[in-house]
Amino acid sequence: MVNTFDNRDDKRNNNGFNKQDNQKMSPFKKIFYRVKAFFAVPANVILVVTVVVLLGLTVYPLFLLVLNTFIVHSSDKSALASYGTFSKGDYTVFSWVKLLTQTDYNYARNNFFIPFFNSVKTAVLSATIAIIIGGLVAFLVTRTNLKFKRFISIVFIFPYVMPTWTLAQFWLNLFKNNQLPGAMSNGFMASVFNIYMPENFVFGLFPMVIVYGIHYAPFAYLFVGSILKNMDANLEESAVILKAKRFKIIRKITFPIVKPAILSTFLLVFASVMGSYTAAVYLGTPVGFYVLSTKIKAMVSVGQAQSYIMGCFLIAVGIMVMTVNNLITGKRKSYTTVTGKSSQISFIDLKKLKNVISICLVVFVFSITILPLFSFALESVINVPGTYQLSNLTLDYWIAKPGAILDNSGLDAGLFYEETIWKAMWNSLRLSLTVAFLAGTGGMLIGYGVARRRGTKLATFVSNLAFFPYLVPAMALGAVYLAVAVKFSFLHNTMLILVIVGFIKYLPFATRAGTNSMLQLSAEIEEAAIIVNVPWWKRMLRIIFPIQKSSFISGYLLPFTSCMRELSLFALLIGTGTQTLTYLLMYFSQKNSSQYSNALTLLIIVIVLVIQFVVKKTTGASIDKGVGGS
Amino acid sequence: MPEIILKNITKKWGKFVGVKDMSMVIENRAFITLLGPSGCGKTTTLRMIAGLETPTEGQIIIDNQVVFDSEKGINIGASKRSVGFIFQNYALWPHMTVRQNISFGLEQLKWNKEQIKERVDELLEMLKIEQFDKRYPSELSGGQQQRVAIARTLAPKPKVLFMDEPLSNLDAKLRQEMRTELKRLHADTNSTFVYVTHDQLEAMALATKVCLLDEGVVQQFDPPLVIYDKPKNLFVADFVGNPTMNFINCKAKKGTEANLLELEFLGFKAHFTANDMVDLRHRDVILGVRPEHMPIRKNGKIHATAYSTLPSGMETTVKVMYKKELLTSVVFGSIDYAIDQDIDIDIISNNLILFDKETTERIAIGKIDIYN
Repeated sequence: MVNTFDNRDDKRNNNGFNKQDNQKMSPFKKIFYRVKAFFAVPANVILVVTVVVLLGLTVYPLFLLVLNTFIVHSSDKSALASYGTFSKGDYTVFSWVKLLTQTDYNYARNNFFIPFFNSVKTAVLSATIAIIIGGLVAFLVTRTNLKFKRFISIVFIFPYVMPTWTLAQFWLNLFKNNQLPGAMSNGFMASVFNIYMPENFVFGLFPMVIVYGIHYAPFAYLFVGSILKNMDANLEESAVILKAKRFKIIRKITFPIVKPAILSTFLLVFASVMGSYTAAVYLGTPVGFYVLSTKIKAMVSVGQAQSYIMGCFLIAVGIMVMTVNNLITGKRKSYTTVTGKSSQISFIDLKKLKNVISICLVVFVFSITILPLFSFALESVINVPGTYQLSNLTLDYWIAKPGAILDNSGLDAGLFYEETIWKAMWNSLRLSLTVAFLAGTGGMLIGYGVARRRGTKLATFVSNLAFFPYLVPAMALGAVYLAVAVKFSFLHNTMLILVIVGFIKYLPFATRAGTNSMLQLSAEIEEAAIIVNVPWWKRMLRIIFPIQKSSFISGYLLPFTSCMRELSLFALLIGTGTQTLTYLLMYFSQKNSSQYSNALTLLIIVIVLVIQFVVKKTTGASIDKGVGGS
Repeated sequence: MPEIILKNITKKWGKFVGVKDMSMVIENRAFITLLGPSGCGKTTTLRMIAGLETPTEGQIIIDNQVVFDSEKGINIGASKRSVGFIFQNYALWPHMTVRQNISFGLEQLKWNKEQIKERVDELLEMLKIEQFDKRYPSELSGGQQQRVAIARTLAPKPKVLFMDEPLSNLDAKLRQEMRTELKRLHADTNSTFVYVTHDQLEAMALATKVCLLDEGVVQQFDPPLVIYDKPKNLFVADFVGNPTMNFINCKAKKGTEANLLELEFLGFKAHFTANDMVDLRHRDVILGVRPEHMPIRKNGKIHATAYSTLPSGMETTVKVMYKKELLTSVVFGSIDYAIDQDIDIDIISNNLILFDKETTERIAIGKIDIYN
């Protein structure tokens, strides 16, 4: 045995190469060994790289956003003319002053306060509606003897998979009429049934709230439903044994248990609606009902700094909402995740109402998911909008050769022959694929790092950092990167900036999916491979990925489909060369080009659904798995 | 010669000390069990030796090679320590068949195809799982999965094999069977085994030497029977043996010779004759009596009553009440006493153990003679 453990420290000498001194390492060497050992663990490398990349891609751009609110951009020169003469690049606080205080022509009121309160109103009401609809359906499906449960539970999630504007477009297809501003053609109701709805029914707060509410209802359904489903039936059964009445049980036991889920859903929907642009541009802008997100877009060209200021407000709201949400769920978590072994509680008997409620629900679900598709198909083949007659049907807007069509939008061929469409399709596809690849892979690696180093400060920091973009509403994130493009002009109007912003936006989802699936996998599965000397990359490719294949593919699928239908995020950043399908869609709807926009909406939905279906059939992955729903 | 040496190994997580200043020499071809209650640091120790966990301080030497040294910054990864590891939940790769599971490691070691096939066949036969080679782990029973895990670990012929509670997921009958197999395997493979368990019977049955841990500190590192007969302290005495040892509070004073003591307990007076000299420091001592050393017999000196009888077929555990003190006795064969029936017991053995109540250390081994 080599005796290296003699304690001879007191016999210090100056010979640095002496054996004794070797034991007493210099602090520098000690740190060096520590660092070396630290970076020998792949999970640590991933986490550190993530920190650097994410700080660079989120925190720094946020700083740029705030900085840019104080910079005079070319469009600000005339906007701020009443405060003095500025040249581009000057620093000033007057953008803030003007947006928040200027009273001429009610400037601050019209451009900031009204849109801001419109946003808040829309978000609060939408979240309420989403919870009422989603929660009710969840309750009916999990707790009563409703009929057609399978159909309802599958189809009800559809609106969440479909683009936000689907229902907005459908709403217009149904209710628009020529009595409204903008000299529109008659929609289905006006033309066929002679029902002319008033302006504030067709446009503005009311339809937006309905559309957002229905769009986010599946969110509430998944959250509340999974808790109702996993809730230990004993909790209710013991109340039954104590002779509590059915309604009292729901009020005193069931509701308190799902309350935290309801609150979180409310906050999440609230934050999403605050940052959403699409339905607002369809249903609000035509009648001058502005919300913060549509105002940001409008302001970019007339007072860029002021649009950044509004972006800051959106982000502040997002962060506030998440903080509240964490406070709520953090405290309550302990009893929201109760699961039990006992079997399902006996269903509430709806008695006579059973058939009525079941049929109403099926009709409702059908009309918000399947009917819109028929409507889009119909509108896209009508020659003269507003006339629903067989003789007026045409496939021109799909397959006509160039030159055959005269349209507001300036296009002159059927969708399939239109070069602009193909280019936009190519842009959308390559953007979505790249974003999905980057976000999915990033999420998986971060998930790996976080799961392996779980409990360490670094892992907690990284998982919070990766979740951070979730707090930033889509429109505001667009504004952030617009500011980045100001600083780094080579990014301006490029595909790259769209890719980056998409990557950042969808990283939280992918990270969550990645972390969840990594946590399911015991570390021993990997250690069994470490023991036999399998290098790290091979462990990932040969062991970890194949085992968790389906949940990783969900991690790719979610960013892909979201990106295919995304507009709010990209609206500020798209340039002439980087137009996507959704961007064209917005253009068509602004130009009142009904056939094109309906055809294109249908096309996008079909692409998304087909890809999703194919992936699901071939790999077993699905969106709801990635979301963590049931 | 794969001898494993641990020197002053310490593992801390923040302020929590998992393993404290552990030094141990595991001889070549030994079968060591790390035994202790849950949370005592046994799995951590095993994982540190295997290289899956990094110690905070200390030195580990395997086969004369320093694989870890906190002072010199040496830390050789698990993959380069040429060890095998069997995990508690087997950690079989669910997407690979039995054959692929076993051969995967060999492919990493760049064995050629025929060698791999030969070795896998050999192992399949050795562990009697030939018929399952194309099945996936989920299609096997627990015992079969266990065998596959062993085969996979043995495949590269590791000189050292680590096992982390490998039998805890099996039912009692299968566990018994696998113990037999493991002991044979140890003899057949010529390897050093290090085995973690919380089951003291398993530790005793398998090991050449048991390392008993508590709160990260080695309590005793000795062959099983030494641990059983000569526990170093109260913890060891209490942890090992089923049913557990009786502990009787006594007052002691020095006797006429260096190895003689006068004891008073439960109203009795007795001479204690130790096998060696006794260094009595405190008056309060604890007499440890194994249940088998407390037989029930007519005209025994202690007139007690039966509290409860627990027959198990081959033997019967009898709980006996004497002056509000509950004692345990084991009787060979099946007997059933009526509750509160009068029975007499004795304390007869040369292996009675005396512990210092304050330090909990063993102070003597010997016999007693109750005279009053």
